[in-house]
Amino acid sequence: MINYIKIKKSINTIVLLVSVFVLSIFTTACDYEFELPEAGSIADETPPVANFTASQNEVDFLKYNFSNLSTSATTFAWDFGDGNSSTELDGENTYSAEGTYTVSLTASDALGVTSTFSEDITIVEPDEPDVPDPILINSVFDKLPKSSGSDCSCSAWINKSIGDQGESSSGNGGSDNVVKLDNNEPDHLYQEFEVVPNSDYTIEIVTSFKNSENGSFPSMLELRVLAGVGYTSGYTPTYYTDTVDFPQDDFGYASISQVEDAANNLLVETQDNPNDDGYITYTYTFNAGANDSVALFIRGIGGPATGGGGGDFGYNSGDEEIRVDTVTITAIN
Amino acid sequence: MKQLKYIMVLLLAIGISSCEDDFLEPAPTGAVSSSTFYSNEEELESGIINMYDGIQGINDTRADSNHAIQVEFYVTEMRSDNTRTKSSEGEAAQFESFNIETTNGLVADYYRSFYNVIFRSNIVLQNLDVASDQNRGRFEGEAKFVRAYAYFNLVRLFGDVPLVDRVIKPSETEIQFTRIPTATVYELIVSDLESAVANLDNTYKNRASRAAAQTLLAKVYLTQGTNYNQAQQLLEAVMSSGFSLESNFKDVFYTELNDEIIFSIGFLPDVNDDSQNFSAEWLNAVGRTSGVNYVTTEARAALDALGGDRTQFSYRQDVIQPSQFQVAKYLPNGDDDLGIAATSNDPTLAGNDWIVLRYADVLLMHVEAIMAGAQETSVQAALNSFQLIRNRAGLTDIVTNITKQELLDERRVELAFENHRFFDLVRFNVAQDVLSAFSDANGLGYSATDLLLPIPQVERGLSNGLLTQNPGY
Repeated sequence: MINYIKIKKSINTIVLLVSVFVLSIFTTACDYEFELPEAGSIADETPPVANFTASQNEVDFLKYNFSNLSTSATTFAWDFGDGNSSTELDGENTYSAEGTYTVSLTASDALGVTSTFSEDITIVEPDEPDVPDPILINSVFDKLPKSSGSDCSCSAWINKSIGDQGESSSGNGGSDNVVKLDNNEPDHLYQEFEVVPNSDYTIEIVTSFKNSENGSFPSMLELRVLAGVGYTSGYTPTYYTDTVDFPQDDFGYASISQVEDAANNLLVETQDNPNDDGYITYTYTFNAGANDSVALFIRGIGGPATGGGGGDFGYNSGDEEIRVDTVTITAIN
Repeated sequence: MKQLKYIMVLLLAIGISSCEDDFLEPAPTGAVSSSTFYSNEEELESGIINMYDGIQGINDTRADSNHAIQVEFYVTEMRSDNTRTKSSEGEAAQFESFNIETTNGLVADYYRSFYNVIFRSNIVLQNLDVASDQNRGRFEGEAKFVRAYAYFNLVRLFGDVPLVDRVIKPSETEIQFTRIPTATVYELIVSDLESAVANLDNTYKNRASRAAAQTLLAKVYLTQGTNYNQAQQLLEAVMSSGFSLESNFKDVFYTELNDEIIFSIGFLPDVNDDSQNFSAEWLNAVGRTSGVNYVTTEARAALDALGGDRTQFSYRQDVIQPSQFQVAKYLPNGDDDLGIAATSNDPTLAGNDWIVLRYADVLLMHVEAIMAGAQETSVQAALNSFQLIRNRAGLTDIVTNITKQELLDERRVELAFENHRFFDLVRFNVAQDVLSAFSDANGLGYSATDLLLPIPQVERGLSNGLLTQNPGY
């Protein structure tokens, strides 16, 4: 009997040892990944975590909605930072004035555990800023340096892919202060500028035509506002401030066919010879449409398509020279 | 010793079983477990069709089937102030009362379905090398459009979601279950749609097209509240692509593939594999339910006040229960009074296509893009687009100014019951105000966290703790 008990004990000991051994293998192999909690442990593994987001009302800028994003909580206390409070799930408060307010949310669970989250909100009346006037460089056509070649009234206004450059000239009571589009040549002016989409703008341009030759090819001045969506694929404009930085070729609009594509034109205006060689102000308006950039393109037309005194672009000015003194573009607010 | 043997075997068995990688079955549906290869272009094209099959969903009433687009109204329109169940019964009623459980089978169905659609598009993208040089771009564009479409829905409904951008193995649980910030998901959506715009033309309406990709990308930009200018450019490109409004509002829904349709999910009548049953579910006990997607008092009031000619083709009285009102778009069994013919012999095998994108949506988004987050606009281009919508509805008074509220209201009555309303409320940043007022007036349980659906509990179970839950659930 004693022996039997002893044997049983030793077997039990062996069982125990082997069990411990096997257990240790299997537990180390599994890195305690799915360990059960300790017996009797009922720790609060989901204490409340307070959290919220704030959003300003679309119409009343003083009104705020607060979305409660707290977890594991049952009761809530809002302090809106202006003396108002609430115990609703989601907060809503209308402030009396602009300013910075500290909004606090205290979230509690049924065990009385609490968590507090605070965030400052700064209320500023949203302003509707006026659309700024576009910035044109050398809009008065002074004789200024270019990136290459000699100084010119046409500086900042050159795109040799779509015309020959204008020339420096004098007039309207100054010297080297206007740009000239020669007769029977494909002279042009081209500059890109930034706009606010869908805004209205006024263009004021001061021009002078030489008196009519009364020939078959009277000169006209054509002015186009070209959409930024029509720029050469992949092109992003750079708005230079100094005339020496402007490129003179291979950018923006790269061909006359692009220029003449109706879909690319926000405005096309033509000036006939007024038969008055004084400087006259013309005013046009355009809407920027779905563009944050546009180009102003001005050229002399009226001459034969080919055979003019310059490059071959498919157009030429007519018999008379045209001068441009200034161009001004302002936003209509 | 006998005892010892038993204990050893027992412990070993426990040890082995608990050390396996996969603890839970069934295997996830969003990942591939057998090889998925196409060996030629014909097979690849069948893979393309397979994506649209995925969006169609299966027309049956099994809880474990992917019903995809056929259950979308539950997770969109029925969570807005537009529709509800007829009798507040079953898990479908969780949506209208804003008390959605994490175990809701319809939420799980939608989630599972659209990850399956993503899986199908990833298979196509993985096999593009079998396509001819001539067609490869087209296939890539289609697959990326479909993937972007699925992610755009998922990210708007669930917030941060796992981002699976290639065919993954079941063992890649990190990818399958790690929620990725919405901003990163949107990066993939935008790049996929840009690729689709570049690669597609406007050949199809039941399949992806350039116009569909342009429209969807514009909607993505409006949703992000950035790039309003690009959105406007994309919409204007669609506006010069030959689409137009149907002169009669009814024809939008009852003349399939009409000029107004940009992208629709095609269904065929009386064919089990290609028909749909959502149309029947919206009727009185014709489908499996006693009637869902019934029209709320609020939606009726909006349509009565602002709908014009659209109202009669938007909702109708339920002849069986005259106190109740049904959606009149997508009727499967026709309506003699409205001059609408049945689309199938069996209403539960309906052939009505589901319209995802149509030209009216483009015109109203055009107004929204020009408004660019402001409270109103009087830009002529916006007025022109808005006027076209109003004129078609017989509301021909000249519009000289449009407020954001007027635009939202116009979208509500123009696009009622087409699964836009919930997304519009969120995008216009008024969901909290509108839905809390709606909830208070009707004694419902809305709170701010209801703007995101719960991550389905079944997915979280499969994820072994990796997939986190949204706040409020």
